[in-house]
Amino acid sequence: MAKRVLIVDDAIFMRNMIKDIFSGSGFQVVGEAANGLEAVEKYKELRPDLTTMDIVMPFKSGIEATREIIKSDAKAVIVMCSALGQESLVMEAIEAGASDFIVKPFKSEDVLSVVKKVLGDA
Amino acid sequence: MSLDLQKYLSLFVAEAGEHLAGFARDLVLLEKAAREGGGAGAKAAIDSCFRHAHSVKGMSASMRLDGISAVAHRAEDLVDVFRGDPAKLDAGAVDLLLSAADVLQEMVGASAAGANPPADAATMERLSGAARRLREGGVVGPGPAGAPALPAQGAAPAPAPPGEAVRAAPPAAAAAGEGEPAHPEPARPQSRRVIVDVSVAGSCPVPAVRAFLVVKKLGALGAVTRTSPPVDDLKAGRIPGRKLEVTLDTAETLQALERALAQISDLAGVVLREAGEERPPATAERPLPAPAEAEHGEATRSVRVRTDLLDGFLDAVGELILATARIREVGKALPPGSRAALEEGVDRLHAIVKDLHDKVMTVRMTPLAVLTDRLPRAARDVARKVGKQVEVEVKGAEIEIDRAILEELTDPLLHVIRNAVDHGVEASHLRLLAGKPAVGRIAVSARRERDRVILEIADDGKGMDPAKLREAAVARGTITAAQAAALGDREALLLACLPGVSTADTVTDVSGRGVGLDAVKRTVEAVGGTLDLESAPGAGSRITFRLPLTVAVQPVLLVRVGEEVLGLPIAKVHGAAQVEMSRLDRSRGEPVLPYDGELVPVHDLTRLLGFPQDGVRDERAVVVAEGGDGRVGLAVDALLGQQEAVLKPLGAPLDAVPGLSAVTVLGNGRPVFILDVQRLLAG
Repeated sequence: MAKRVLIVDDAIFMRNMIKDIFSGSGFQVVGEAANGLEAVEKYKELRPDLTTMDIVMPFKSGIEATREIIKSDAKAVIVMCSALGQESLVMEAIEAGASDFIVKPFKSEDVLSVVKKVLGDA
Repeated sequence: MSLDLQKYLSLFVAEAGEHLAGFARDLVLLEKAAREGGGAGAKAAIDSCFRHAHSVKGMSASMRLDGISAVAHRAEDLVDVFRGDPAKLDAGAVDLLLSAADVLQEMVGASAAGANPPADAATMERLSGAARRLREGGVVGPGPAGAPALPAQGAAPAPAPPGEAVRAAPPAAAAAGEGEPAHPEPARPQSRRVIVDVSVAGSCPVPAVRAFLVVKKLGALGAVTRTSPPVDDLKAGRIPGRKLEVTLDTAETLQALERALAQISDLAGVVLREAGEERPPATAERPLPAPAEAEHGEATRSVRVRTDLLDGFLDAVGELILATARIREVGKALPPGSRAALEEGVDRLHAIVKDLHDKVMTVRMTPLAVLTDRLPRAARDVARKVGKQVEVEVKGAEIEIDRAILEELTDPLLHVIRNAVDHGVEASHLRLLAGKPAVGRIAVSARRERDRVILEIADDGKGMDPAKLREAAVARGTITAAQAAALGDREALLLACLPGVSTADTVTDVSGRGVGLDAVKRTVEAVGGTLDLESAPGAGSRITFRLPLTVAVQPVLLVRVGEEVLGLPIAKVHGAAQVEMSRLDRSRGEPVLPYDGELVPVHDLTRLLGFPQDGVRDERAVVVAEGGDGRVGLAVDALLGQQEAVLKPLGAPLDAVPGLSAVTVLGNGRPVFILDVQRLLAG
């Protein structure tokens, strides 16, 4: 059964790009969120196998959202999408419970290799 | 000296210097150990002392520096007397050996300049005379300062008669009695120690974050007892060689650990092995078994590199960072179609340059021991001169910091130590009256907090009196009586950092404390650090330096004033506000900004810098910064953002301009001056 993915990013462009990467590779994108608040709600509603999470977003940061999601579901698999220069934020997200991270700009094979490993499918 | 030997000269000078510093350090340790009744500590210190002198003798002989060799030989000979009987060591002998070390260091310095200094006859005679007298059963006698030899209390001037009771068990003996841990832990049969070696793939742009994730994952499967590099280093982005070693106490199987690590991307190699023994008891006096380290790969190899070469590396990497930023700027002018490829390349370049910068910074890191090793000796010298007794205890000397900061720190730290002995610690009889031990104690401790090094110097002397400092500052006209009354005790102590406050005339209790403390504060701030002062009358004082690990790259806030772009070190900036200048309240004609519960005086940077006033708008941005005597507001035309800047010192004649501290170059090639707010306001 295809793994279900939730994509969180405030940029539509980024969401579309990530969606294309997953859709073409046997994943099922079940939802999108444009900020941390939405992310927490959608997560509780959809219970995806994997969540990709931007860090800097309006209303609630990806770190805060990660912390809340992990609090409600300790087994949640969240992969942070970060840019170069955000190393300390990524480490904060890891402390909050994120499973892994990818660094923008990324190639589709990098994204897929990280999430497959994290899901134990590699 | 033949050309052949010339090749080794700089190495000789460096190593001989280290041995002489070690010699002096061990002597002071030895003196302390002897005072505490000898024992294993004294034996170890004396052996180490002997080895240092012996090494200098051998090295200088190989260099055909016969004068140095001869003096070192006599010093070694004198130390040898104490090897047989540590109880013979007295303060006079320590003085003599320390002055011999100074003479030797001077000679080594002269040899660096190409000389072959002859042995100093007087030093030779004093050393051999002392050795002769001691061998015949005498004493060395008072040292050059004429101060009394070791005090009777707690000292060991003569061997105790065999029947006399031992004063106190030396630490070694006490420790030997503890065969079993006091509170044996419940057995944990399955838990054992596993060592995990991981290397992060070269393709990963952020290896430290990868490594941090590994530590986190392993932490969920057991107790991480040690990581190399330390987690704080990882958080600061440092991971030399992209290698991580984690020591883990865990009940999981190696296979389970391997499976967990297989879920992490970008790992080029993972090696797990069990440490060669059961998990040690909770007391864990033993460090990690060394053999386990040794069997895994070759022993650490190191080479010596000239420091100017290191400085050159750093300069070159700094230029690379600037050049990369410049290319990124140029790329922004390209049509969108062709921009992506360039930006991808620049991102990659940036990652590589950053990695290179981290490596260069790592190489420049120097243990604080280079500096702190000198402190006990410095304290002892002052103590002998003023007839006090003091011990210096150093903790965390292994903590590393950029060598440029270490060099800047040398004078301030020595100053603080001397001050603590001279003005902080009381004479023995006064200490005893106050119910304190006769020997004063100065504790120097260093620790890492994220990307800062915290260095504390605490003494158990008489402390400083905030009330007297307030009086002194008012008497000098530095502040008004009302301002003084408004100061909390902590802030009042910092008055000692103002030039001229608390001189011997005005505040006898803290005489001299203020002299030079302002210079100390300025130096610490110049390298991007801060200074804090705590004191309790009667109980002692504590000075805390918070220092950056590295000095070269600092975040700066860029502001626009007229046509100019200027930088302010972020470390000095509290915050910013957008204001209409005409609507600000005024105090004595000067505009003031309510900020964080206080009123901050606002200075117009346009006027301070002497720029033309026309065209200045009423609505301005005000940066609240640390101004030396408290917060100040600086009105500017616009805030442009924050940037990591490679700061370069100003050359002549710009270094004479008050208010400028450094220069950096922006990505667009534009030079930007960094302001020194304190000096700008003073000038």
